[in-house]
Amino acid sequence: MNVAGPSDGGNTRSWLLVGGSVVVALLLVGIYLAAGGASYTPEKTRDPCKHRPWTNPESLSDFANQFSISALDGAACELGVSREALAQALATPVAREQFLERYDISDAELARAIRASLLRTVDDAENAGALSPLLADPLRSTLKQIPLDQAIELVNDASSLLSNVQGFLGPAGELLEQLLP
Amino acid sequence: MLISFNLVMALAAVPAALIARRAGPGRTAAVGLAVFAGAGLACGVADELSTLILARCVQALGGAAAVTAALELLPATVGSERRATVVWASAGATGAALGPALGGLLTELISWQSIFLLQVPVALAAAVPILSVARHEAATGIIEPELRQTGRPHLWANVALAMVSAAIAAALFLLVLLLIEGWRLSPIGAAIVVTVMPLAAILGSRLGPHVPDARARAAAGAILVSGGLGGLALLPSAKVVLTLPPQILVGIGLALVLSALTETALGGRAPQAIHGGWTISARHAGVVVGLLALTPVFTADIAQQREDAIDAGTAVILDSSVDPLLKLSLAQKISDRLDEEEGKVPTIGPAFEPLPENEDERAEVETLQDELQDQLDRGATHAFSPSFGLAALIGLLALIPIALSRRVDL
Repeated sequence: MNVAGPSDGGNTRSWLLVGGSVVVALLLVGIYLAAGGASYTPEKTRDPCKHRPWTNPESLSDFANQFSISALDGAACELGVSREALAQALATPVAREQFLERYDISDAELARAIRASLLRTVDDAENAGALSPLLADPLRSTLKQIPLDQAIELVNDASSLLSNVQGFLGPAGELLEQLLP
Repeated sequence: MLISFNLVMALAAVPAALIARRAGPGRTAAVGLAVFAGAGLACGVADELSTLILARCVQALGGAAAVTAALELLPATVGSERRATVVWASAGATGAALGPALGGLLTELISWQSIFLLQVPVALAAAVPILSVARHEAATGIIEPELRQTGRPHLWANVALAMVSAAIAAALFLLVLLLIEGWRLSPIGAAIVVTVMPLAAILGSRLGPHVPDARARAAAGAILVSGGLGGLALLPSAKVVLTLPPQILVGIGLALVLSALTETALGGRAPQAIHGGWTISARHAGVVVGLLALTPVFTADIAQQREDAIDAGTAVILDSSVDPLLKLSLAQKISDRLDEEEGKVPTIGPAFEPLPENEDERAEVETLQDELQDQLDRGATHAFSPSFGLAALIGLLALIPIALSRRVDL
């Protein structure tokens, strides 16, 4: 029986091949790691229960954006889901049904969470000086009366809430933009 | 379908080799190729998945007979048993690398059926020169007797072959999936991209003859395959060009390791067809185990990463400063896209059309689209990372049986 073995020259080439392969493989993995390969993942979503400070809104649209995000954060925190999952759920009635089923939440619980969050958002905005008290009170009155579908609409597009208030304020509503700080 | 073909190949290779020894390699190869061609035709015209799977299983039977018998026929053509082993092993390695690229090209240029229909004339053409051998065997009735006891198959070389094949299957199968399903390349685009692997395999097969030590070639090959898979597991961006260096490593590595281990498994053993059958069996069993082990990991990861990517994309939209009504409209369109492409990574471009006419708003929306696409790309790419990583680990673990293998000339 003869165990096949390489000659001296062959031996050197063998070591060179194995050593070279190790170096090349480590080099590739090292370069990709250094270029951020280990962290090339979708960004983590933030905790909706973490307070998000209000900034002075520059326009009605800016106010509506901040209002929507704050309301979403509050409702998501209360329901124990991510803000993003709630936002996706509120996009369409089908998505909402799937969301309620997945998280075992009833329509009434969703409505309660959204309404409470909207009211708290008005409080927060007022406390932060982002919303004038002259607007905050009629907003609260409106929010306490609206059904779930409209509350969802308001979370998605807070500017419609301001339009409602504009209607409620009548001719004085024209001053709405000026009432925002 | 992929698993059924490989499973039948794994189970049928050794019995097919035994038949080749008893009935004659010429006749076995000719019948094997005819069965392969006939089943290929059935695959090409199959209108149901069950028919296609059944036909693929029959094709695997024919393939097992043809491939193992070919090893018995090769020495007469190439001059020696040793040379036949090298040619046979190299052909197997190159074929493994070439398959996905060629399949992708044919699917896109013609149809998926064309992959099978093209196999018919190729198999029949391969059978033509064998027919004279088969006729001679039939006329003389002389079948070469068993020269010696079959002997035990080379355990460690075959175990290493199975492990490396599992890792390589992941590289070939998952990379094509990443390119098409994750990065939304067309099948022809993906086929062109993965052509790098067979090209690198050709380079690897040229490197082999310069290093006579098969164990060193096998070890180097396994390290390169693992390094390439490691690179694919750590892609720093969803750019096709970044898949090229890992593919080069995998291609060179697979050519080195598959041929070296096959040569080791066959070295000094006879009859060649039977030990060749064991290597075919080990390789295809490795593919089956690899796919069975990695598919659940990959499937669970892609579902999770899709969800994470959509959440991250939603966060991007929510935190953007575009008009709330525009946000709402975008959210609804993106939701529709998700429903349309259920379970897949969605193409979100159409959700952003038409772009706003206002220049500032348009720029904002375009930035938003890029950011959202980036999150989806991150999710799709990362979904494949654990599977590539696991495959790299399997490739590295193959170094253990490689270290234990030793070519023995009897």
